[in-house]
Parts: sequence; C-alpha cells; structure tokens
Amino acid sequence: MWSEELEERIRRRIVLLFWLGIALFCILFGRLWYLSILRAEWFQERSERNRVRVVFLQALRGNIYDRNGFCFAKDTPRFRLILLAGSEKEGILQRIEGVLGRKVTFSLRERGAGEMVLLEDLSLEDVVKIEENREALPGVLIETYPLRSYELGEVFAPIIGYVGRISAEELKTLGKMGYRTEDRVGKSGVEASYEGILRGGEGYRRVEVDALGRVVRVLDFRSASFTRSVQLTIDAELQKASYEALGKRNGVVIVGNPQNGEILAFVSKPSFDPNLFSRGITVQEWSRLIQGTSNPLLIRPVQALYPPGSLFKILIALAAQEEGVVAPREVFFCPGYLDYGGRRYLCWKREGHGRVSFEDAIAHSCNVAFYTMGLRLGPEKIARYAKMFGFGEDPHFDLLGTRTGLLPTPEWKRETLREIWYPGDTMNLSIGQGYLLVTPLEMYLLLCAVANRGKVYDPHVLLRVLDAGGHILQETKPYLRRTITLRPQTWDTIIRGMEKVVTRGTGFNCRGLPVRLAAKTGTAQNPQGREHSWFGCFFPSDNPRFVLLVLVEHGGDGSGEAAQVARRIIEWILRERGV
Amino acid sequence: MRRDCLLCLVVVLLCIVGVAAVYSVDPLREEGLVAQSPFGRQLLWNFVGWGVFALFRFVDFQWFLKRSWIWYLISVLALGGVLLFGESDETGAKRWLFSRSVQPSELSKFALLLFLSWYLSVNRDTLGLWNLLIKSAFLVAVPAFLIFLEPDLGTALVFGVLWFGALLVGGWRAKQLGILSGILLGLLFPSWFFLRDYQRKRILAFFDPWQDPLGSGYNVVQSQIAIGAGGVFGQGWLSGKQAQLRFLPARHTDFIFASWCEQLGFIGGVILILLFGILFWIILDTAIRTRELEKKFFASLFGLMLLFQVSVNIGMNLGIAPVTGIPLPFVSYGGSSLFVYLACAGVVARIAWEAEEGEKQRWT
Ligand SMILES: [Zn+2]
Repeated sequence: MWSEELEERIRRRIVLLFWLGIALFCILFGRLWYLSILRAEWFQERSERNRVRVVFLQALRGNIYDRNGFCFAKDTPRFRLILLAGSEKEGILQRIEGVLGRKVTFSLRERGAGEMVLLEDLSLEDVVKIEENREALPGVLIETYPLRSYELGEVFAPIIGYVGRISAEELKTLGKMGYRTEDRVGKSGVEASYEGILRGGEGYRRVEVDALGRVVRVLDFRSASFTRSVQLTIDAELQKASYEALGKRNGVVIVGNPQNGEILAFVSKPSFDPNLFSRGITVQEWSRLIQGTSNPLLIRPVQALYPPGSLFKILIALAAQEEGVVAPREVFFCPGYLDYGGRRYLCWKREGHGRVSFEDAIAHSCNVAFYTMGLRLGPEKIARYAKMFGFGEDPHFDLLGTRTGLLPTPEWKRETLREIWYPGDTMNLSIGQGYLLVTPLEMYLLLCAVANRGKVYDPHVLLRVLDAGGHILQETKPYLRRTITLRPQTWDTIIRGMEKVVTRGTGFNCRGLPVRLAAKTGTAQNPQGREHSWFGCFFPSDNPRFVLLVLVEHGGDGSGEAAQVARRIIEWILRERGV
Repeated sequence: MRRDCLLCLVVVLLCIVGVAAVYSVDPLREEGLVAQSPFGRQLLWNFVGWGVFALFRFVDFQWFLKRSWIWYLISVLALGGVLLFGESDETGAKRWLFSRSVQPSELSKFALLLFLSWYLSVNRDTLGLWNLLIKSAFLVAVPAFLIFLEPDLGTALVFGVLWFGALLVGGWRAKQLGILSGILLGLLFPSWFFLRDYQRKRILAFFDPWQDPLGSGYNVVQSQIAIGAGGVFGQGWLSGKQAQLRFLPARHTDFIFASWCEQLGFIGGVILILLFGILFWIILDTAIRTRELEKKFFASLFGLMLLFQVSVNIGMNLGIAPVTGIPLPFVSYGGSSLFVYLACAGVVARIAWEAEEGEKQRWT
C-alpha cells in the first residue's frame, strides 16, 4: 500500500545505497594506495623483469707477447649479423640477400634471449651495405665480436695453444666462474694454462622487449674489455729460426736458459694453424688434422714419449763418477761387443773403439764402456740418480698437459710385467734403450742440471703479466726446484767429456763453432722405422746460458741430422743474440 | 552550482579521460588521427553520444517511460536475435549484431532501467509484496538469461544487481531480502557447473592470480604490475611500459584503468575514482530530491548500476574483484556502453533540472 511510511523507507534505502557506494569507493581507494604507493617498488621491479632482457657479449682476451714484444695472439674485431628476438625471419633473409646482392648461406644459430646469429665474419664491404639499408632491415643488428687471431700460428701453436667455444662439459665446471654457453675458453698451451689471466671482462647489451618478445629498442650496452696480457719468455725469432732449422723434418727443439728456467724456444713439428679453431673448425679441416700418423695436435716436447738413446749416458756417467765405480784413469777396452750371461751385447761401432778412457767413452758414446758402468752401478742406483734428476717426476712446467716418462726399475718390472729384472735390462738401460721412455722436456732438464751444476730451476714460459695499459703487474721469479749436490770433480769430468763430444767425438757436425760447446748425441731405436735422432748441448760450457735440445723424428744417427739442425740454431744464436 | 550543470561537467570530464586514455594506448596513434583507430572511433562515439545526452536532457522523460514495455520487448527480441544471428568476438562469445556495431546487451541495460522504474512505480500499491517480487523477477530473468547464454556473465550480473537494487529501493523488507539472498546463494553453487571453462578459470584465477601468472592469472597480474609500477606520479603520459609494450591485455577496454594509472600514477587514479564518486553522489542526491517515484527509481538504479560497474571494473584492475569483462563507464573504449551511460546521464540531468525547477516553484 502506497503510504508516507513507504516513501520514507524508500528515502532511507537510497541513503543506505549512498553509504554503500561510499564504502566501496573507499575500498578501491585503499587498494590503489596499497598497490601504487606501498608496493610500488616491488611492482616496478616486476615491470622491469617483464620488459628487459640482457644479452651478454663475449669477453675480450688479453694479448700474448714474446719477450721482445712480438704479439703472438690478439683479439681482432669481427662483425656478425644478429636477428633480434621476435623479428619476422623469412622476409628479412631475402631482403638481406637483396642488400648484399648475392646468395648467402645463413648460419641461423640460436643463442640467448631468442636472438639468432645470421652471418659471421662479415666483410667490411658487407657491413657498409647493411648499415646503409638499416631502415629496410628491422630487427637486424650488426654486432662486433672478438676473433682470436694468431701470428705465424703454425710456428707457435704448441706453446700458445688455441681457443674454442666452451664445451658442455667445461661449462659444468666453469659455469660457476661466470662462463656462458657462447664463451671462448683456452683449450691448450698458454691460452689454457693462463686462462684466468687472459680472460677479460664481458660486456652486455640490455634490450627492451614487448609482450611478444620483440625487441623494441636497445637500452644500453657495455663493450667487452680485456684486462690483462701476458708476456712470455719465448724469443719469437729464435723459435722461428728453430722451426725453420728443422726443415722438412718432424721433431722437437727446446731452447732455454738453465740459470733461471726460462724457455726461449719450444718447437713441435708437425704443427697446426690455431686460427682454424678460433673461427670454428669445419669437419673437413678437423678430419684433415687428425688423419695420418703424425698427430699435429700432440705437443711433442711434453706429451710424446721416446727412448732417450745415448743421451741417457750422461746420467750413467754422472752416477758412475759420483759413486766411484770407475777408478781414476781407468781405461775400458771395447772390442765392439760385450759378452754377458751367455749373450752378446753390441757396441754401435762394430769394429770396436779399442782402448777408451772415461771421457773418451762419453765423447765416442762407447756402449761397451757404459754397459760396464751400468752393471757396476746396478739398476737401483741408476734409478736413484734418475729420480734425483727428475725422471718420471712432475717437471713443474707451467703449461698444462705435461706427461712424465717411464723410468723402469726392478719393482716396476715385477709389478707390471710380472717378470724379474735381468742384467740385460740394466745394460739396455745404461745406453738409454729398453723400457725407458722420456719426454724431450725431461732430457732438456737433465742437460740443464748438468749445465748449471746441479741447480735446477722450474722451466717456465710466463715472463710477466701486464695490465691493459702495458704496465707490469707481476713478474715470474725463477724457482729453484732442487739442488743436486755432487762432487765438483764429477761435474767437471762430465762437462769435459761432453766438450770432447764436439771436439773429438760424435758431435763432429758442430765442430769449429766460435764457442765452448758441451754436447751429447743420441740415437733412439724406433720399432716403427728409422731411428729418432737426438742432440743435446749447452754453451758456453764454462758459464752456460743456453741449453739446446733437438729431436729429429726418423732423423737416423744422432751425430747426423739432429746435430746439423742444432748447428744451424747455435749459429743463429751466436749471430743474432751473442753469448 | 546547479546540479544538472555539475553532473554535465563531471560526465564531460569522465569522457575526456576516456578519450585521452584510449588515445594513449591506441596502436595506430603514430599514424595520426585515423577513422579506423580506436581513438578516432571513441571520439566519434562521443560526438554521437553527446547528441543522445542532449536528446534525453531536453525531451520529456515521461514520453519514453510510458512506452517502456516497447523498449523492453525490443531489447528481449534483440537479445534473442543475438543468440540466433549474432556475431562472435575474440572470446568466442556471441555479443554483437549488425557486423559488430551494436551490442544489444549494453543497450538493454537502458531499456531495463526504464522498464523497471516504470513497472514498479505503476505497481506502487503492491511494493513490498512477494507477488510483485516474483513477477518482476520473471521479467528481469528473461533478458538476463538470454545474456547469460551469449555468454556474457558480467552484464547478466548487472541485471541481477539492478533487480536486487530495485527491491532494496522499492522498500521490500529486510527479512524478505534476507530470505531471497539465501535462496539465491543456494542456487549459486549449482550454477558453477553451468559456467564455461574460461569463466571458471577466471574465477579461480581471481583467488590466486600469482599461482599461474602467465596463464589464467595473466590479466590480473599484469594489471596490478601496471598500477604498482605507476607509483605516485606515474611513468608519464604515453610512456607506461606495461601498456605500451602490450604486456597489459585489453588495454583500451577492460583494463583501461590500469593503463591510466600506469601513466598518471596514484594521483591520476584518485582523480578518476573521485570523479566517479562525485557523479555517484549527484545521482543519488537527485534520486532523493525528486518527488516522483519513477524518477527516484530511475536515478537510484542508474546510480547503483554505475556503482556496480565502476567498483567491479576498477576492482578487477586492482586485483580485488574477479575478471568479468564489465567495462568502465564513460571511459572504456566502446560505443554501446557509452551511448547507454550518456543517455542515462541525460535522463538524470533532466530529473535533476526538473527537481530544482519544482523546488523553486514551491518556494516562490
Ligand atoms: Zn765401443
């Protein structure tokens, strides 16, 4: 029934509705306050995360210099073409071909943040063409990236090494140190050993993307930088001369200073071009590298094992002198063979050396004299001296991937071959044959020990670390690893014997050089073919500053090819560096 | 200041906000004023809409009111037509007629307002009785059900709210309304099973949008990020990252409030809420002042509709109401909704003017 009372109730209801509305508006107001004032920062950060993507740019690596400032390895800027995330692909590819004016094969490699690498290593001409047509190519970006380039790569590859894209395995361990999937990492040589120093700071590019992941614009970027370079003890010209001295032969040359352990030349032949790896090696190139028997990736001076041949007689002579198993002025008689235990052991000179003194035995490398000394010493003493001179031990070289040789002892033979040690084994060991295997570096260190009269410094290739401006950050101090104390007469006698190698004996190929030279030749028997040829020497022998070790694979007699190679190198050193 | 002028001013400001907000998120903005761009269309609809406003402001309200049966029948027929011949939009719901130019569900809001005001005031002697309640329920349920079938849950809900509001304003007893609420809640639970999948997801996402921020909770999360990232003063006109980079969905329709706040911050949001608050106050003040029952009904129900749409729309932008697809009156991009609201505003402006004239006559 319509009434005054109902009319009043309607009025009250409208007022009620009004207050209901005010309450709702207050709730909206409060919530707005909460979102845009109390939680504003949190939401701003969420919004940032929505729209900003970061693309990391490869870190630059430091340069590698030789001791005189020659640059072995540096990063050179290259250009690659990037297609930003969310861009339309097919049409763009056609347009790029149109702009470049030719057909190209795109690499279409996906990488972080949805980007795609279209082309790598663009020529400057192509870069100009693309820059001129920027408008027609939305989403296409030219990115500079560092390419590792090596000067005279083949000559220096064994020491410098190479870089490559980080593998999934390496990423597992290096990921914690900030490495990313696209990063380069040193794979061998100095590049790997001093990765921590050479790696520079990475750059980044921050881009703003829309809801579909399309890049709207580049917000900012920081270019990659390099922080430190290294300078090596290597003398690039000497290394080059040594490499050339080997000629067509495969082999090893190590030159160094025995007084501080610096390595001046470190040649391993055959070698490879490390530039292949830095721009990404193709399958064909790779199969060409690993084909054949002479593995160019093998760093022969520290990874290949050879029998040392007569070069090992230096150690036997040292031990024999020091242990007094050879009487003063003792004279050995060599009829060309030695019969022992019902077998005949031959001297390399079939007609025999006749009467030979201790020093002549070294000079002529008479096997019979050394069989005799070895038998007098016995295998245990030989092994003790060999260990003393670092055989079968870690050489503490600062390059990664160093192997150690095999020093046979009676225990070793019992445990691995399950055979007893025969006197014949001792005789083979005395002339550096049999089970004994060494790396060229181990032989080099033996020569260093003799040259420096027992003081052995750790061999190293790092001279100093430089900062980006070329200032010295850190210098390598020579580290005296061990001092072998023998009687001075022992050293004198052996060095005199080694001098006679040149003047009267097997080192005739190095005769007549204007320097006092102490040397020893060696011939390593090789079941696979012609013998390997060794030559080790140091000069000047009264105060040795150079130790030189040459190994020519399949070079035959040690007095032949290896000595000729050594002579060329010594002549170069005397001419170019002086003594 | 005269009430009808004040109302006119507030509505003009709201429309300006709407046009500006649509402009700020217009994807074709860079190309200047284009007839096909949302901004161009919104501007055009505003011109037409203000013609509609003027029409209802200056033509006698009674003329329309007396023919409200006709409007009611036309709207029911149109809603039926939508189900038979309608065109679908992006969500798959059939909501449009005449090549997506008219949304009958929006226009039927106006028809229902007129019809309810007329029907209840004609039956003023039985106000508060169960008999009229049930009859009115049936009359509202027919178009509401048709809209629900489209499906357009939001607008169907507006119809329900209008009907309940009519009972409230119409003086039905609190006890009766309580019983009714109980029955409706009882019916609400089974209705869950009649909802479409996307509607259920939206309701679930409302309770915890951050559970699935890239899926069903995406809208809610992105709109809150936009509002929050706006801070106190906003990121600046035309530079809201969320809206400009299209992280924010339905930027010019359902979530226009969020893109507005992202650009103009808390200050902009408060201004907009205040404008709606003032408008709501003027409308309800008019409802109290006018002496004629049908006008009281119309104004208060329009106020309720405005309140409901504003609080649900802004509420869902702020993440405190479910995502229902209810546009923000006067502001959201879209012609049908704008016409209806401008027409209603025109009617209320006339009611306010008549009430003031009447008061003057009484006092002089
Ligand atoms: Zn002999």
